[in-house]
Amino acid sequence: MFQTLTRTMLSATAFTAAAVAGGCLVSWLLGSAMPWPSLVGAGIAAGTMAAVALAVVARSSGAFRARLESTRTAEAVASAPRWLRPTARTLVGCLERMAVREDAWKTRERDLEIRARVAESGREQAEAVLAVMDEAVLVVNEFQEVVVCNAAAGRLLSCDSEAAPGRPLSDIVQDSTLRRIIVETMDAQSTGVRQAELMLGEGADAIACEATVGCILDQKDRVSAAVAVLHDLTREREIAQMKSEFVSKASHELRTPLSSMRACVEMLVDGEAQDEGTREDFYGIIQTETERLARLVDNMLNISRIEAGIIEIDRTRVDLGSVLEQAVRTIEPQASEKGQTLHADLSPVDLNVSGDCDMLLQVVVNLLSNAVKYTPEGGRIVVTADSDNLARCVHVGVQDTGLGIPPADVDRIFEKFYRVENYKRVAKGTGLGLNLCRHIVETVHGGQIGLESTLGMGSRFWFTVPMGRVEAPRVAA
Amino acid sequence: MSSEFILVVDDESHIQHVVSLKLRNAGWEVETAADGEEALHAMAARRPTLVVTDLQMPYMDGIELCRAMLERPDLCDVPVIVLTARGYALGDEASELPNVNAVLSKPFSPRAILDHVDGILNTPERAA
Repeated sequence: MFQTLTRTMLSATAFTAAAVAGGCLVSWLLGSAMPWPSLVGAGIAAGTMAAVALAVVARSSGAFRARLESTRTAEAVASAPRWLRPTARTLVGCLERMAVREDAWKTRERDLEIRARVAESGREQAEAVLAVMDEAVLVVNEFQEVVVCNAAAGRLLSCDSEAAPGRPLSDIVQDSTLRRIIVETMDAQSTGVRQAELMLGEGADAIACEATVGCILDQKDRVSAAVAVLHDLTREREIAQMKSEFVSKASHELRTPLSSMRACVEMLVDGEAQDEGTREDFYGIIQTETERLARLVDNMLNISRIEAGIIEIDRTRVDLGSVLEQAVRTIEPQASEKGQTLHADLSPVDLNVSGDCDMLLQVVVNLLSNAVKYTPEGGRIVVTADSDNLARCVHVGVQDTGLGIPPADVDRIFEKFYRVENYKRVAKGTGLGLNLCRHIVETVHGGQIGLESTLGMGSRFWFTVPMGRVEAPRVAA
Repeated sequence: MSSEFILVVDDESHIQHVVSLKLRNAGWEVETAADGEEALHAMAARRPTLVVTDLQMPYMDGIELCRAMLERPDLCDVPVIVLTARGYALGDEASELPNVNAVLSKPFSPRAILDHVDGILNTPERAA
C-alpha cells in the first residue's frame, strides 16, 4: 500500500516536472512575441498535455506489459489499444528475444557460479592436502617466482610458507643445486621428471632429501610452472643405519661360534688333534658352540617374531610361583657348580597372572642364568615374588651378590647385542637374552622390566606381569 | 728358532686353543693373550715374530693393538694377521695399517692361517 502511494506520488512529480519543462520549451521556441507570464502559462498547458499523453501511453503500455507477462503473446497484443498494436507486436518480439537471452544468461550465470564453487572447493581441497603432506611441495612459475609453498616446504627450506607465494625463487630456496635443477627442468621444456639427492643446509643440521622436479604445461604445451617435491630422507637413513648395525652385530655373533666349530672340524679332519684328550676338547667345543649358535638363532627369531607381531602366544592362567620354582630347579645345577646358594622367597599370596607360561619361564631362566654367570663363586642369588594389589600385578625380583653393572651401562643393558665391555671375559653371552626378556615382559605381557645395581655389590633385576587379562599390543596368533 | 714365537690374541679361548695348536703342530712356539693390553704386555717381555689377532676384543681391540705396535720402534715392523668376525668396514680399516699383512674373515680355516704365516715369514714350503 505504501509502495503504491509512493510510486503514484513519484509519477505525479515526474509529470509535473515534465509539464514545467514542456512549458519552458514552448516559451523558448516562440521567443519573446508573447509576454513572459503568458508564455509560461501556455508552455505549462502544452507541457501538461504532453505529460498527460505520455502518462496515458505509459499506463497503456504498463498494463500491456503486465498482461504480456501474465498472458499469452497473441492475447497480450490483442488486449492493447488498436493504435498501439503494430508497436506492441514489435515490442513483443523484442521482449520475447530478450526473455530468451535473459534465460540463457541466467543459465550461464548459474553454470559459472557452480564452476566457481567447484573450483574454489578444489582449491581448498588441494591446499588442505598440501598442508598435511609430509613431502615438501614447491611450485615455481615461468618468471621464477614461488606460486605454492606448503608447510612442509617451509620447514625444510626454513622459510615462512604463507609469505612465500609471489617471492623470487632465489629468496626462498637457498640451496643452489635445488635452484639449478628447478630452472634446468623448466628450461628443458619437457614433461620429463628429474630426481636428485640433496643435502639442504650445512654442517650437522644438514637434511638429506630427495628432490623430484617436473613441469606443468599449459594448454599450448608450453611450460607454465615447475613443481618440486622434496622427500626428507632422514628417517630412512636412520632405519638403514640401524639395519646395517643389526646385521653387522648379528653377523659377528653368528660368526664367532661358527669359527670355533669350523676350525675344530678342520683340525679333526686334518688329524691335527693327535691325542685323545685334544680330540675330546674339540668335540666339546663343537658341541657347546653348536648349542650357542642354536640359542642365538632362537633368540634372534623370537625377538624378531615378537617385534613383527607374528609370534604365537599360548595365553593361560599362569601361577608365577610354580614358574619361579621350575626356573630355580633348572638353574640350580649351574649355581651349585659355582658354590652359589640359590633359593626362591615367594610371598604366600595369589601369584596368578594371565600369560604365556613358557615365555615367562624363559624370562626367569635368563635372569637367573645371568645372575649365576656374573656372581662370583660362593655368592647368593634370591628370587622373590609378591603381588601388588594396587597396581594389579605380580612383581618378581632376582637379586644377586655379583659384579653389579656400571651406571653408564644400566640404561643400555636391555638393547640388542649390548654387553658390558669389561664383562665379556667373565662369561659368554649372545647379548640378546635381556632384550628378549624385555620383549616378552613388555611387548607380549604389557608389564615392565628394570634393574637396580651397585657396582661391586650386586644387581637386582625385576619385572612385573599384570594379573588380569591383558590384550597385548600387536601380537597375532 | 728358539727366540722366535707367534703371539695369538683372541678373547675367545676356543679360537686361541685351535690356532695355537695348528701353529705348534707346524713347529712354531706360540704364546696367547686375551686382549690387546695383555698382548702388549707379552710383547714388552719378548718381541714376537708375528702376531695373529682378533679385531673385536674387550679393553683394547685389534686395531688399537696394531696402532700401539706401530708407535713402538721395536714392534713397528712385526707383521700382523687380523681375524675378523665383523663385515668389511673394520676389515678395511685394519688392512690400511702398514703392519697388517693379511685380514682373514671368520669363520676362518686354520690351514689358511698357517699358509699366511708361511707366506709372510718366507718359511720353506712344508711337505704335504
